[in-house]
Amino acid sequence: MAAPSRKKKGVLDPIIDLLKWTWERLERTLLLALKIVFPSRFISPLGFLGVLTLIVFIILGVTGALLLFHFTPFFGNCPPPVNGTTYVPAATCNQAYNSVQSINNDVSWGQIIRNIHYHASNAMVLLAVMHMFYQYFGGRYKLRYEILWVTGIVLGVVTVIEAYTGYDLIFNIRGQLAINIGQTLTYYSPVIGANLAQIIFGFSFNDLAIRFYAFHVFIIPIIMLAIMAVHLPRNLVLDIPVASAITGVILIMGGLFPVDVGVKYDPNLATQITFPEWYFTSLYAFIRVHGLNPFIAGAIIPAIFVLIFLVAPFFDRGRKIAMIDRPFWIALGVASLGQIAIVTVWGFRAANPFVALTGESQLVIDPTLFAGSLLIATALAYGSVYAFVRWRRAKIDELRAARKPLPYRKVAPYILSKSEVYSLLGGLLVLQGFLDVAVFRALLDNLNNFALLEIGMVLVAFAATVHIYRVTSQAK
Amino acid sequence: MAAYDIDKSLIAWRRSERKLFLTNGGLSMDEKKPSTSTTSMPPTPTQPTVASPPNPTPPVKNPLISRRRFLQGALAASAILAAASVGASGQILGPQVPTPLPPQVIADWSVLDQKYQDVKDDRTIKGLYNEMNYSQFFYWQYDSSVSPYYKNIIARLPDADAPLVNPLYPTDPILSHVVAFNTTCVHLRCLVNPGYAGDPGSGEFRLQCPCHGSQYRLVDAIPVAGPAFDLGLNPLPQVELSVDSTGKISATGMKGTPGIGRT
Repeated sequence: MAAPSRKKKGVLDPIIDLLKWTWERLERTLLLALKIVFPSRFISPLGFLGVLTLIVFIILGVTGALLLFHFTPFFGNCPPPVNGTTYVPAATCNQAYNSVQSINNDVSWGQIIRNIHYHASNAMVLLAVMHMFYQYFGGRYKLRYEILWVTGIVLGVVTVIEAYTGYDLIFNIRGQLAINIGQTLTYYSPVIGANLAQIIFGFSFNDLAIRFYAFHVFIIPIIMLAIMAVHLPRNLVLDIPVASAITGVILIMGGLFPVDVGVKYDPNLATQITFPEWYFTSLYAFIRVHGLNPFIAGAIIPAIFVLIFLVAPFFDRGRKIAMIDRPFWIALGVASLGQIAIVTVWGFRAANPFVALTGESQLVIDPTLFAGSLLIATALAYGSVYAFVRWRRAKIDELRAARKPLPYRKVAPYILSKSEVYSLLGGLLVLQGFLDVAVFRALLDNLNNFALLEIGMVLVAFAATVHIYRVTSQAK
Repeated sequence: MAAYDIDKSLIAWRRSERKLFLTNGGLSMDEKKPSTSTTSMPPTPTQPTVASPPNPTPPVKNPLISRRRFLQGALAASAILAAASVGASGQILGPQVPTPLPPQVIADWSVLDQKYQDVKDDRTIKGLYNEMNYSQFFYWQYDSSVSPYYKNIIARLPDADAPLVNPLYPTDPILSHVVAFNTTCVHLRCLVNPGYAGDPGSGEFRLQCPCHGSQYRLVDAIPVAGPAFDLGLNPLPQVELSVDSTGKISATGMKGTPGIGRT
């Protein structure tokens, strides 16, 4: 005789009980001080770009930890050619690069993990910048958000520095260019320059490799975590479908545009023209301007740019946060975006930005052209945006005075019918099953990029499934 | 009434005694709280309502430094000293600089000169005007396992067009025809290459940076074109040479620092 149960026993009951038990005990910890919201319908991901950045940071941590097993932070020895012989590069030369090459070519899954790490690093910089601009345009540095804003700007700068130390560690010619420029800028900084350069870059290249390794895998991530502890707001939005989709997109990018190892840096070979990573081409453009001191171009100008954003909350003292009420700041933000776009593209191009950069004679940029185009673009962007915001404000005031409805569009949510839900979910499940099989096929055939693409697609399909699930389970 | 008077004078005496004790110690009570000592006294049973009486003792002359200030100062000094002791351990941040190599044979005069004589009459960009034909690279002071920035070049000075002489050794029969420089460009630390950049026949030969196009005169490595010239940067570091009786050329010293230049 079974004891009479008060309610129907489900299969999942013990699991739910365990979760409840854990949850109640977690309330004693710091974790539940964070109010994490799992939205039950689609909300714009622009509002929680910060959480997405954090998710990408975690992806970077995991893939980076896996790469640690195979990377050698050691430069080695590159003996010059013996007189009268053709140069044969020594096997001992640039062992850091050799190890990255073996990760890419020999280590199983090495190429996949490295691809994810690379594309996630780009995604993190991009998401951080988007996050900053969204909060900026939304006026979210006010309302006692000042500390969050300032730590966010610092965190963004540290993120870019972390990315810098990362791509230098490959010791290809692109990394070497970055090392050369970074070292020169540090040396040219006033008073402490020489000492600081020795502390950051060490004396020898083996010093440099091990130092940047320490910075990249331990010191800077720890600093980032410390800043994050302050930067993390108490209310977080964790949207599982969007997080999954972002991860999927990173993997798809890795599959479509696999990162190569680059040209090996060998001091005995003549230097080739190369570009920095896309988040540094803006600085590269400034450094290439004729007659502009490298320290001013590469350190002072970007510092001023960052400083303007850093102090924005202390000058924008109005109580209104809507874009339409802050024409000056909105116009400033758009103008700065325009500047970033121009100098970033120019860094990739020849002195004449409409021509591709092919030879070293095209490197030096004419200062009049450079400053002139920047000034004109800034003035145009600033003026037109300022005028537009003021015009829009005036129009809304006019409508309000005339008691007419404001011109806002409201989109009614689309409700899926039952058959649509079944067919969509069924189709997605079949797609995922097919892709899973395809991933294993691809891995068996060593088609790493294909596997990566398909894993990304599976994640996007999962995101769609979860989205349909939550929308439908709410709708009935 | 008498009891009240006694009590009042007792309080005053106690206070002055305490003040005396503190001033004798070189310190004084903070003047901000004059009534704390009276109120904290337990009230006597005979007179339970002692309103804080006016201070009968004459105001003490301002001491040199108040007690609170002294304590704060001591605390701050201690914190600074503690921080300084920790800061001194920042020495570990500095890199370990390896021992530089001793003076070393880097080239053979007869070989270098022969290379030059071979192309001297071929006045084309493949011959005389390609300095790579009569120059060679070497690492010195630190070998290539230490740093690529210690890569140097030694060249036989081409004197077919104009009499070029090493300014360090203008009278030496061999060293006046040879120059050696560090190849780290002072602009952004690329490694420069020998590259003819003047007009043929002008007697001008240059080292050229492949990254941003800085050009240095081959004879004394002073920047003459490109960013290094525009920004007025230093000449490349020059390697000091010596030669023995058999014509072996050795590097003996370096004037300047790689990446910074000869100041």
